[in-house]
Amino acid sequence: MPGLLASALSMRRNGSSDRLLRTLPPYVSLLCIVVGVVWLFLLPLDGYSRRTYISENALLPGQVHTYFGGSDQHVFRAYRHEIDALANLTNTEVNDGLETILKGVGLKVGRQNYTYHSAGETYAGENVYALLPAPRGDATEAIVLVAPWRVGSGGERLNRGGLALSLALARYFKRWSLWSKDIVLVFPPDTRTGTQAWVDAYHDAHDPRLVSPLPLKSGALQGAVALDYPQEGDSGRFESVHIVYDGVNGQLPNLDLINSVVNIANGQGQGSTLQRMWKHRGAAYEDRLRTMLRGMVSQGLGHATGAHSAFIPYHVDAVTIQPVSGSNGGRGWHDEMGLGRLVEGVFRSLNNLLEHLHQSFFFYLLLSKDRFVSIGTYLPSAMLVAANFTIMAISLWVRSGYKEVGDVEEVEKKEADTNNNNSTTVGAANGDSKISNSGENGKDTTTATTGTAVTTTTASKKAERHIFLPLGLVVGSHLLGAVPLFIFNHTPSKLLTPVFTVFALANAALPHLVSHYILRSSLFVATRQRQFYRLLKSFSLLLLGMFLSALATLNFSLALLVGLLAAPLTFTPVEPSGSYSLPVKAVFALLLDVLSPPAVVAAAATAWRFFGGAGAGAGQVGVGAVLREAAFGWDVWGLYTPLIVWCVWWPAWLVGSVVVLSSGGGGSGESSGARMGKKKVL
Amino acid sequence: MHVLASSSSPASSSSDYYEQLNLKPLPQSNLLASFNFRSNTSLSQFEAHNFQYFPRSLGQILQHVGTRELHLRFALGRWDAESWGARPWDGTKEGGTGVELWAWLEAQTDEEASHKWLTLTNALSGLFCASLNFIDETRTTRPVMSFRPEGDHSEDILENLQLLHGVLPREVVCTENLTPFLKLLPCKGKAGISTLLDGHKLFDASWQSMAIDIRPICPSGEECVLQIEQTIDMVLDIERAKRPRGNPIPRPRPGHELKCNTSKPYHSGDTCFPTDFAEGQEWALDQVFGRSVEGACPLTDPDVPPVCIQVPHSRDIYTTAGASEIKSPGGGSRCYQIPSNDGFSLILPRMSREGPDAKTDADELVPLASPPLYAERSLMGHGQERGGVQTILTNPSPDAAVEFVYFETLPWFMRIYLHTLRTRIEYYPPHQGQSQSQQIGTEAGTAGAADQQQQQPFTSTSGGEDSTDIVREIYYRPALDRVRGTQLELRVRIPPASRVVLTYDFEVTILRYTEYPPDANRGFDVAAAVITILEKGSSPSADDNGNGGKDMTRRGTSNLRTTGLLLSLPTPDFSMPYNVIIFTSTAIALAFGGLYNILVRRFVAADEVSEVGAGGLKGKVLLAVKKLAVLVKQKLAASGAASSSGGGDIKGAQQQQENKKDRGDENGKGKAE
Repeated sequence: MPGLLASALSMRRNGSSDRLLRTLPPYVSLLCIVVGVVWLFLLPLDGYSRRTYISENALLPGQVHTYFGGSDQHVFRAYRHEIDALANLTNTEVNDGLETILKGVGLKVGRQNYTYHSAGETYAGENVYALLPAPRGDATEAIVLVAPWRVGSGGERLNRGGLALSLALARYFKRWSLWSKDIVLVFPPDTRTGTQAWVDAYHDAHDPRLVSPLPLKSGALQGAVALDYPQEGDSGRFESVHIVYDGVNGQLPNLDLINSVVNIANGQGQGSTLQRMWKHRGAAYEDRLRTMLRGMVSQGLGHATGAHSAFIPYHVDAVTIQPVSGSNGGRGWHDEMGLGRLVEGVFRSLNNLLEHLHQSFFFYLLLSKDRFVSIGTYLPSAMLVAANFTIMAISLWVRSGYKEVGDVEEVEKKEADTNNNNSTTVGAANGDSKISNSGENGKDTTTATTGTAVTTTTASKKAERHIFLPLGLVVGSHLLGAVPLFIFNHTPSKLLTPVFTVFALANAALPHLVSHYILRSSLFVATRQRQFYRLLKSFSLLLLGMFLSALATLNFSLALLVGLLAAPLTFTPVEPSGSYSLPVKAVFALLLDVLSPPAVVAAAATAWRFFGGAGAGAGQVGVGAVLREAAFGWDVWGLYTPLIVWCVWWPAWLVGSVVVLSSGGGGSGESSGARMGKKKVL
Repeated sequence: MHVLASSSSPASSSSDYYEQLNLKPLPQSNLLASFNFRSNTSLSQFEAHNFQYFPRSLGQILQHVGTRELHLRFALGRWDAESWGARPWDGTKEGGTGVELWAWLEAQTDEEASHKWLTLTNALSGLFCASLNFIDETRTTRPVMSFRPEGDHSEDILENLQLLHGVLPREVVCTENLTPFLKLLPCKGKAGISTLLDGHKLFDASWQSMAIDIRPICPSGEECVLQIEQTIDMVLDIERAKRPRGNPIPRPRPGHELKCNTSKPYHSGDTCFPTDFAEGQEWALDQVFGRSVEGACPLTDPDVPPVCIQVPHSRDIYTTAGASEIKSPGGGSRCYQIPSNDGFSLILPRMSREGPDAKTDADELVPLASPPLYAERSLMGHGQERGGVQTILTNPSPDAAVEFVYFETLPWFMRIYLHTLRTRIEYYPPHQGQSQSQQIGTEAGTAGAADQQQQQPFTSTSGGEDSTDIVREIYYRPALDRVRGTQLELRVRIPPASRVVLTYDFEVTILRYTEYPPDANRGFDVAAAVITILEKGSSPSADDNGNGGKDMTRRGTSNLRTTGLLLSLPTPDFSMPYNVIIFTSTAIALAFGGLYNILVRRFVAADEVSEVGAGGLKGKVLLAVKKLAVLVKQKLAASGAASSSGGGDIKGAQQQQENKKDRGDENGKGKAE
C-alpha cells in the first residue's frame, strides 16, 4: 500500500502523468485481455481444475442394489411393441395410447395442450403425463422422468427405447414402497416445446392463452431425468451414456446430479461422456480443453440442448441421458435394462435427498466426467476481459477532462467557446458541464495544496466536459438495439434470410452515415472536438464493461465470447489526426466490419453448416435457421442471447465504428473503399 | 357405509369395551382396514379415579389439565378419493399429515387455557413419543367455525370450555407412536383384532390414520359416560402387503409367473403385456397383515362381531375353522364371530374373469360411495419471495349444493394478502365444452378490522341460492411475527356440479439466522387445510360460537383434509458468516496495515531525501562517525602531545561508538529501504 501511494505520488509529481495516462491504459487493457485468454487456457491443467466429488451426503449414489431386470424385460418388449404400433399416429392418438397403458399400470394421468407462435410458425402439441404418488408421501416433493416422443435436434427420431423404458420403469417403481417423493412421468411430443409448456404450467408461469394449466399436480420438483434412447433395432446395446446438462441461458444443473449419474453409471460398468466427446482421454489436455470449449459454446448460445433444459431455470436440476454405442464403432454390451438400472439408481439417489440440491456447484465448467473448474477459478478470465473496457473507459474519461494545448487547433477551441456562450445546445448540457467543472476546480485546489506545480511539458489544460450529447448518443444507440431485436423476433421465418441480408448491408453503411451526415452536420458543432469522441467512446465502453462483468456472473461463456469479439473496440483510434494514419484507420474500420454482430452471426451460421450441428438436418442451414432458432428461443424458452447481441454488443459496436470513421480529420471518406461505394449510392 | 351406522349407535349401551375390524376391498387391489376400539367409563367412576377400561395414563392427564374433550390424530399418506371413493368414517377420524391435536379445555381466561394447553401437549408428547411439545403459541389456533364439541356437554360447562387446535405437519408418524397407542387398549395387542397391528404393515400402507377421541356421552335417562375411541384406518396395497416380511424387495417375478394379456399379437415367451389390475388378487388376512387374529379379546362385547368385510354376497370367502359368518340382510357386508382361543383368518380366492362362470367387478367390490367434495391444494408460482396457494374444490353432486368451512392455519412467516383472495367458479357438466367462469373478489378492507382479539368475522351478504355468493363468511386472524400464525376460516358454498378455485397470494419473510432448522433447504411444511362439510340447515356462524354448537353433533358433519404444502423460504448461504469473517478480517488487516503506516510515517518525495542525506539509523550513525572523525582530526591537530589523559578518554568513547556502529549496521541491513 505505501508502495502504491508512493508510485501514485511520483506519478503526480513527475509530471509524466499525461504521458502515462495516454500510453499506459491501452497496454493495461491489452494485458487484461491476454491474461484473460491465457487464464482460460490454463484451466484444463491439473493445478487449476479439481476432481469432482459428491458434496451432498444424502445422495449416496451407487450405494443401492438395483433390481430392475429379469421379467421386466418381457414387459419392456411388450411396451416397445405398443410404442411401435403408435409410431405413425397423430399426437392425440399417441397420447390416447399412452394414457391407456399408464392407467393400466395404475397411475393417474393428465393431459395438457399448448400452442406456441414464433417467427410466423405455430408449434402446437399435447403433453401426457402420469403421477405415481409416493406410497407414504404427502405430495410435497416430486421427481420427474421425461421421455419425449421424438428426439434429436430436428425431432426426427422416435424415442421408442426411452418411452418403453419409462413405462416399464413406472410399473416397476410402483411396486416399491420406499419412495418419499412422487414420481411424475412426462411424455412431451418433442424435446423443444413440450417440456417447456409443462414446466411453465407446473409453476404457474404459463401464458393461459397459449398453454393450458395442468389438471394434476404434485409438490416441489426436486430433480428431473430425461431419456433420449431411440434404440434402433431390437438390441439397442450401448457402451456408455452421454450426459447432456446445458440448460436454457447457460444455466447448469447442480454438479452433484451429474456426478451422481457418472458415479452410478461407472458402478454398472457403463462409461459416461460429456459434450459429444466420444473419445475422451481423461488426462489429455487437448481433450479437456475441447470439452470445456464445447461446453462454453453451448452455454454461450444458451439454447435448450434437450428435454431437460426447460427445468433448469426453475431451479429444478435436470439432465438428459443418451445411451451411445462404443467409441470404437462397436456396440457395447449394456442393454435397455442396464439403462433402466441407471435411471433406477439415479432416482433412488434423488429419493434419498432430504433437502433440495444445494450443496455442490451451480457454476462450473466440466473438463471431463471427473474434472471441473469452479466459478472462483474461471470467473477472472471473463472479468478481466470485461475490465479492459472499463479501464479504457476510465482513462478516456480522465483524458477528456484535459485539453492538450500542443496539438489542438485553436479554431476548435474558439468554436467551442462561442458555442458555450450562445448555448444553443440544450441547457441541461450546460448544467452538467458546470457540475463537472466545479468538480475539476475542487481537484485543482487539492493539487495546489499538495504544493507541487502541475505545469508540465505537454501543457494539458483542464477542460469542461460536455457530456450530454455523447451520453445521449450512447443511450440512443442502446435503445436503437431494440429495432433489430424486434425485427428478428417478429419476422416470419421464410423472410428471415432476406431481411437479414438487408439488415447486414444497412448495418455496414450505418456507421458511415452517422459519422458523415449526422455528426459532421452543422447541428452538432461540438462533435468536431476530440473530447466528444473520447466521451462517446468512454461511455460506450463503460456500459459494455458494466454489462459484461454483470453478465459474467450469470452466463460466463456468453460474456467472454462477446467480450473477446468486442475487444478491438478498446483500441480504436479517437485522435482526429496525428498518431493514427489513414491505413491504420482503414484497417480498424475493416476489422470492425468483420467483427460486427451480423457478420459474426453469418460466419457462425456458415461454420455451423460445415462443422457443427452433426445431424442437425440438411434443411436447417444458414443464417435463416440460426435466426429462427434465436427467435424460437426468445419466444418459447425466454432465451436472452438475442437481447445481449442486439442491445449490448451491437450498440457498442455501432458507437465504436462511428468513432473510428469520424476520427482522422476530414479524411475518413477514403477508408474502406468497397463500403464507400455503397455509402455513396445510398 | 353400512357398518359405520351400526357401529356408531351402540355408544349408549352400557357395555364397557368393544372392538371391530372392518375390511373393505378397494379398486386396483387395495384394501381398506378400519380398526375401531371403544371403551366407556362412567363419569362418576372416572372422577373417582376408577378407570377400569379407560387408560389410566391418559385419564390422569385429562383430569390434571381439565380436558373435557380431546382429539388426537396421527396420519401419513393421502387418501385417493378419485379411486377409493368416500373416506372411512366420513373423514371425521383422520388428520392432516403429521400430528394434529384439538381439545376443549376448562378455563376461565385465555391465559389459563394456554397454560393448560401447554401442560397437555407436553404430557401427551411424553405419552405418545411425538413432538407434541413443539406445538407452541405460533402453531396453536382457536378455530371458530370448524370444530364443534362432539360429546354432550351441559350448558354451564360449555360456557367455560375453550377450544385449542395445533398441528405438526412435519412430524413423521412411525412405530414409536403405534406402541403407546396399542398400550392404551385393554387387550394391548395380545388378543383380538389388535394382534394384526404390526408396525411393518401399518406404516407400509398407502394411507394410514390413527385417531384417539375422548368425549363425554350422555344418553338420555342414563348416566353420562366418558368414551375413548381409538381408530386406525389403513389402505394396504395388497400386492405389496403380501410380500413376505423376510423378503420385502420387489424383485421381478420369474417370467412364467407374470400375468400377461395373451390377446396381444406379439405375445410370446419373452414379451408380455402385463395385466396387473385387471383381475382381483387372491389374498388372505394373515397374508396381508403378516399374522392372523389370535382369538377374540375376552373383554370385548360378545354381541358385536369383531371382523366384518364389505364385499358382495356373491364373492367367495373362506375362513378358518370355528368362525361363524353373519351376512347382513341388505347385502354388501358380512361379519364373523371368531373363536376365542384359535387363530382366525379370512381367505379371498381369486375371481377369474374368464371361463364358464366369469366374474365382474360388481361381484368383487361393493360400489363406492362418491365423496361429497373433492379438494386439492397446491402452491403456485416460483421463486422464493412470493407465491400463491390454489385450492380446487369440486362438488361432484349433480343436484345438491355443498356448504363447508375451509380452515387453514399458516405459519407466521407466510404472510398472506387477504385482498388477493379470489374465487373462480366453473360449472362443468351442464355446460359441457364451454365452462362459464366468473371472478369474484372479496373485499379486503375488512382484513385489517379483523385483526382483533374479538371475533368479528366479515360476513358477506348472503343472497340465497345465488351462485356468485360463494364465500359466505370469512374469519381471519392475521399473523404476528414470531407470536402466532395466520388463521383463516371461510364458509364456502358450492353449487351443484361445479368447481371452485380459491386462490390467494402470499409473501414469505426471511427468518433470522438461528431460526432456520438444520435442513433449511428442504423447505417448511404448511399444515393441511381442514374442510368441515356442514349438513343442510346446520350452518354455524361465529356469532353463536360456543353455545349454539349443540345441534352440531358428530353425526352431522364430515371432514376432509387437503395435502400439506412445502414452502421454500429464502435461505441464506450458511457458510456466509464464515466468509464474511474471513473477508472482513482480510480487509481490516490490509486497511489497518496501510493506514497505520500512513499515519505514523512521514512521506517525502525521493528527490527531497538526498539533501537531508540519508535517513534511518545507518545515516545517523554515519553522520556521527563523520563528526567524530572531524572532531578527532581537530583534536589531534590542536593538542599534539600536550594533554594525554583526555585523549585516552575520547579514544575510549570513540571505541564505543565504533562498536555501536557495527551493531547498527548489522541490525539496520534488514530495515534499510
